[in-house]
Amino acid sequence: MFKKVLISNRGEIAVRVIRTLRELGVKSVAVYSEADRSSLHVRLADEAVCIGPAMARESYLSIPAIIAAAKATGADAIHPGYGFLSENADFSAACRDNNITFIGPSPKSIQQLGHKSEARKMAVKAGIAVTPGTKECVGKDFRKDAEKVGFPLMIKAAAGGGGKGIRIVREASQLVNEMNMAQSESKAAFGNDEVYFEKYIELPRHIEVQFARDSHGNVVAFPERDCSIQRRHQKLVEESPSPAVNKKLREGLEEAAVKLAEAANYIGVGTVEFLLTQTGEFYFMEVNTRLQVEHPVTEFITGFDLVREQLLSASGEKLSYTGGHTVPYRGHSIEHRINAEDFSKNFAPSVGRIEEWIVPGGPGVRVDTHVYSGYNLPVYYDSMLAKLIVWAPNRAEAVDRSRRALEDFKVTGVKTTVDAHKLIIDSPDFQAGKTDTGFMERLLAPAQPVGAK
Amino acid sequence: MDVKTLTKMTKWMETTDLEEITWRSGDDKISLKLNSNPEHNSSITSTLEPVLAPSIGIFRFARPGKTNHLREGASVKTGAELGVIEVGKDFKTVAAPSNGLLKIISIQDGKPVEYGQPLFFIEPK
Repeated sequence: MFKKVLISNRGEIAVRVIRTLRELGVKSVAVYSEADRSSLHVRLADEAVCIGPAMARESYLSIPAIIAAAKATGADAIHPGYGFLSENADFSAACRDNNITFIGPSPKSIQQLGHKSEARKMAVKAGIAVTPGTKECVGKDFRKDAEKVGFPLMIKAAAGGGGKGIRIVREASQLVNEMNMAQSESKAAFGNDEVYFEKYIELPRHIEVQFARDSHGNVVAFPERDCSIQRRHQKLVEESPSPAVNKKLREGLEEAAVKLAEAANYIGVGTVEFLLTQTGEFYFMEVNTRLQVEHPVTEFITGFDLVREQLLSASGEKLSYTGGHTVPYRGHSIEHRINAEDFSKNFAPSVGRIEEWIVPGGPGVRVDTHVYSGYNLPVYYDSMLAKLIVWAPNRAEAVDRSRRALEDFKVTGVKTTVDAHKLIIDSPDFQAGKTDTGFMERLLAPAQPVGAK
Repeated sequence: MDVKTLTKMTKWMETTDLEEITWRSGDDKISLKLNSNPEHNSSITSTLEPVLAPSIGIFRFARPGKTNHLREGASVKTGAELGVIEVGKDFKTVAAPSNGLLKIISIQDGKPVEYGQPLFFIEPK
């Protein structure tokens, strides 16, 4: 096991990683930008180093600054968290070149699986169904490619992720315009204007399978997570297991994830995302080569600590479970992402000083956060304040527990999305487990009299 | 009340969290008030201007193969290179922010520095 691990991230995930490191007796190093001097991860870590100004490009995204911090503090490994440099092959390579272990997959795995069209090829090779679409990035003949795939289709940025760089084209007449937009967006966001086409599946569910694999060849796939509740491709609520997945389907999903992990000779934890159609077919979508925001729901129903599994596999040890490709689970878990956004004003960002911060607790409740009362919310980073995760023996009780925990959540100083989550929880469709990626749009649409349109 | 008793009383007060006491004996009355925030009453003002590290990295007085005989008391000009920060393969200039006298060098050659760490203090002219 490592002696000292630097976390090249901020916010709740940095705090989350420090907690597991402490349990394992591994020293932690926090890095922070000038804007994060008073953030919780700085206070909890054994050491903390200021690596740059507030702009992420010059701090949390600066490979030289983070490597310099690791060398100055003598860290033997770097945990990248999620976002920032977590899926950056150059960063993984820079760590390797400086004799620092990157707690994540090899540069090669990141390139293979992080590049979406490369990942699709690998999935096809491993025998996993993919959504119909172009196998390669599209070039000059994109009109012909689009006709072949058929409308509606999605234009996706090859280097995209987190819901960014996706445009939906409903008919041929919009294609050229949308194509130009998608390419310039992708260029601006990822420095690369390569895009590809994929058939757009109406109202699918977003299902994903967490897997972990060590260098000894042990691989485990965890029960699926359902992340269908999204707003503008950003996940709001995640749950595990999915109310739409039965035992047979689960086995199919888990088997696909195991195959892919083995085909890529992947070391570490990762997630395969699938689209599940209303009729129960699943298609490979993409692989996330990192720990995910929603990993706690898996931890709650299986009892695993996924950060620990990351540390074990990265340090060359065996996973904590080597008895087979699947693990048993118990009960149901739901996660709510609480953001600093004004729900009543179309989720406009809210900034300021957190005055009152009272988080829920009690049986089956976990809150992962870097926020405390008196904390000044920096404007430079994402708006997530906390993740509220609940567990109960079954889904109906988990929903009740969510409602109770959301009632207990008291925040003043900034606006939060707590009320949006209450609305979700109280929706009969959510309670019945009838969710798909169009759920939020329908929930937030102003009520219209029948036949008004 | 004599000075000795007063001294004893103030000493005792310092061991408690009392800020003020009033003591009466016949027509005599004495009030003692402790100055509990002495740091607020003495402000340290400095005319020295700090020179902050522009990057995390290793501080060097000079680029490889060069020398730099910087000494405390030397006069420096705006923009003069006081040293460099080695970060990866890059060297970032630590430049004097103003004309003045280099009063304090608070860094040693080859030491790791954080972003924003004070490396020098200059008395502007």
